[in-house]
Parts: sequence; structure tokens; C-alpha cells
Amino acid sequence: MMKTGVKITLLLLVTTSITSLLLGTFIAVMRISRSRFLRACGTLYVEIFRNIPGLFWLLFFYFLFPELLPPEIGAKLNGYLYYPVVAGILGLTVDNASYVSDILRSGRLAIPHSQREAAISAGLSRMQQYFHVLLPQMYRAALPPLGTRMVHNFKNTSLCMAITAPELTWATQQIESLTFRGIEATALATLFYIALAGVMITLIVTLEKILKIDISSITHSRS
Amino acid sequence: MIKFINTNKWFNNRHILKNINLDIAKGEVIVICGPSGAGKSTLLRTINKLEQIDDGEIIVDGMYLSDPKTNLTSLRAEIGVVFQQFNLYPHKTALKNITLAPRKVRGLSKRQARERAIKLLERVGLTHRKDAYPVQMSGGEQQRVAIARSLAMEPKVMLFDEPTSALDPELINEVLDVMTSLAREGMTMVVVTHEIGFAQKVADRVVFMDEGEILEVGSPPDIFLNPKHPRTKEFMSKVFHIPVFGDAEEE
Ligand SMILES: Nc1ncnc2c1ncn2[C@@H]1O[C@H](COP(=O)(O)OP(=O)(O)O)[C@@H](O)[C@H]1O
Ligand SMILES: [Mg+2]
Repeated sequence: MMKTGVKITLLLLVTTSITSLLLGTFIAVMRISRSRFLRACGTLYVEIFRNIPGLFWLLFFYFLFPELLPPEIGAKLNGYLYYPVVAGILGLTVDNASYVSDILRSGRLAIPHSQREAAISAGLSRMQQYFHVLLPQMYRAALPPLGTRMVHNFKNTSLCMAITAPELTWATQQIESLTFRGIEATALATLFYIALAGVMITLIVTLEKILKIDISSITHSRS
Repeated sequence: MIKFINTNKWFNNRHILKNINLDIAKGEVIVICGPSGAGKSTLLRTINKLEQIDDGEIIVDGMYLSDPKTNLTSLRAEIGVVFQQFNLYPHKTALKNITLAPRKVRGLSKRQARERAIKLLERVGLTHRKDAYPVQMSGGEQQRVAIARSLAMEPKVMLFDEPTSALDPELINEVLDVMTSLAREGMTMVVVTHEIGFAQKVADRVVFMDEGEILEVGSPPDIFLNPKHPRTKEFMSKVFHIPVFGDAEEE
């Protein structure tokens, strides 16, 4: 049971890190776009999703979302053994994406307008400007808070126990109530969380170092 | 190649470009000078529509800028711009700075773009810096990479906005040398600069601007040594008394 728990927690972590980064990027681009309509949509998204607790979104996707879909699809989802995990992924994604988009948007503010002018003058299309010039710099500028956010998201995976996704915290609680080995299970879970958060932080710091070499001077040879 | 017809521009009710008329031939090198705030940068930036004009017309290589059907992206691909602050992409090496647009806009293969970039780096004397990031380079090196980046698109026109004003004096010549050789090869160039020596050597015509107006156009000796307009006279007498011309004006 612990093993499944670890697997599901890792699954939630990896999937939602990627999906929330993608969705967050998309929302951030909407919020800095030229179109007032897109900007308004992006802002609305952030206001809605950031001001409502993540746990609510988990419950929403678990209980309400299937009801909102056409009955056949909803029934299928409800019957699906791993639907709690799916709902967990959806809930964590929409929640985390709102923070990610905010962080990226502030990263955009760190890029001088002259970068866009250079890209425009080179004849790059708007999409190309974003992909090759703006976004790479936005991620770099936003890396430290982005990393912290991803660790938060990792911790939030434990909220999925509320919707019976069989992740680590849920597993620990099950062991606790089914056997008398709750203390061992809790201790193991604690160690796992600490270790994985440690790994994540190390990865982020390493990435920061690599990218710093990228854009700051180490082999400074002014000739 | 570039034609301004009764061009006007306002910024918040301030008249920044006043009835500009100028016809720049293919292969011509035009130097624009004038005091700070004269509208030189704005004039330059209207050519690739970084700034939009409010009135009149600009025709670049047969393309009418006010025509909504003009494809801006392909217009801009034909016009190289070199900025005062270089504006290299800080997350890319010199080589990648140069290959980006040729690959994405011109559709060159990775290998073709790389070969072209290496040739251009050789031309600006920076082959050994191809893997350096902008922060690892001196201002002069960055500006030369920026010129190579523009040339990689094989533009029909090159615009320079005070390309040496942000450089330490000892680095100015390495950039001017590249520009001079470019002019000798017949590139159409519009250069905002106060490097009188450069203008004397390569400019076909010098344009003097003040307060949004073109006050005088003429050969370098005409404008620098024999100005007609009182404000040109005043400006030139000031400029010639300042030892480092490029520092006479800051953005
Ligand atoms: N984006 C802008 N918004 C408002 N005013 C501007 C803007 N850009 C330039 N100006 C004004 O237009 C005038 C001309 O500016 P500029 O073309 O940069 O002059 P120059 O390059 O000759 O120093 C200046 O008075 C400047 O303050
Ligand atoms: Mg200027």
C-alpha cells in the first residue's frame, strides 16, 4: 500500500508539474497579450483559481465535474477506478497554474522592451518572439519563485487524500486505521516527503547555477 | 529604396516628426545628426514600423507602409536594425543570436545558418567568440555580433541608431570599421551618429534634424563645414568643441 502510495504521489507530482507549467505559461501569455479580451480572460482565471482553496478544486473535480458532463461520460468517469487520481491531477493543475502564471508574468516584467524590439526587427512572428526570445528569458527570470512554487505543489499532492486518491498520505492513513503500524507508516511517509522535497530543491538550485553560467560572466575575457 | 512623403508623427499631441520628405537611393549611405530629442530615433524607427506614422507615407523597397496589406514580417526581414544598446538575446550565445532569425524567418537549415553565421563572425573578427554569451563580451564585441546578426538576414537596408554611443571610446573604431566596410560594399545604410569622422568618410549625404524637422540635407562638407541654417551652425560649433562627439548626446 505504501508502495502504491509512493507511485501515485510521484505520478501526481510529475504530471501536475508539467501540466501546470504548460497551463500557467498559456495563461501568462494571455495576460500579457495585446488583446484586451485575452488579458481579461487570463486575469479572470487567476482571480478565480487563486482565491479559492486548492482543496475546493479537488472536491469540485471529484464530485461536481462528472455531473456537469453529458451523463454517459460522467457515469463512465465515476466508474473509473482511478478517477480520484484524474480529479487530483485536474484540481492540482488548475490551482498551481494560477500561481505559475502570476510568477511568469512578473518574469516578463523583468525583460526590457528592447528585447521584443530586437525580435520584431528581425522579422520574427509573435509566436516566434514568445518561443525563442521572451519565454526562455521569462523562465530564467522566474526560476527561483517557480521552483518554490513547484515544491508547494508537491506538498499539495497530499490533499488528494480527501478525494481518496491512493497517494502516500492516503495510504498512510489507511495503514493507520487498518493495522496497528501507523507510526512506522507515518515515519516512512515523512522521510519520503523530506527526501523528495530535498531532491527537488537540489535540482532547482543546480538548474539555477547552470543557467547563471549561461547569462553571467565566468570566463570574462574582455579583449 | 526608402522614400518619406510628407510624413508626420505625434506623441501625445507633441509634433515629433514634421512633414518629413526624404528620398534615399539604393546603395546610399545617409547620416542623420542633430541634438537630443530631435526625433532622429523616431524617424529611423518608422522605417521598419517600430513606430507608426500618423500622416503621410513611407515606401521601402516598393512596399507602402501605410497599406494594411503590406506584410510587416517580410518588410522587417529586409531591414536590419542595430541599436544603441546592442539588444542581443542574453540567453543565447553569439552564434545562436545570429542563427535564430535566418532559421525561423528565412527557413535556413541548421547547418546553412551556422555556416552563414561563422562567415559573418569571421567578417566582424569574432570567430573565437562564437560560443560566448553577451554578458561575457565587451560592448564593442556585442555590437559587432549585433551587426552580424542583422547581416545574417541578408537585408536590403541597414539602420543604425547611435551604434557607438554606448561604447567606451577605445571600442568605437572596431565597430565603425565594420560599418565602413559595409558601406563600401554598397549596402544601403541610414545611420544616426555623431561620429563626424565616420560621416566624412562614408556618408553620401548628411541630414540635419532639429525639433522634428529636417533642416538641411547635403554632402558631409556642406553640413559640417558650411552649414547654412542657423541652428545647424549652432549645433556644429558646439559639436566641434566637444572632444568626444559620441558623448555629446545621451538617450
Ligand atoms: N514612446 C514615446 N512616447 C512619447 N514621446 C516619445 C516617445 N519616444 C520618443 N518621444 C519623444 O519624441 C522626441 C524625439 O525623440 P527621439 O526620436 O528619441 O529623439 P532623438 O533620437 O533625436 O534623441 C523626444 O522629445 C522624445 O521625448
Ligand atoms: Mg535617439
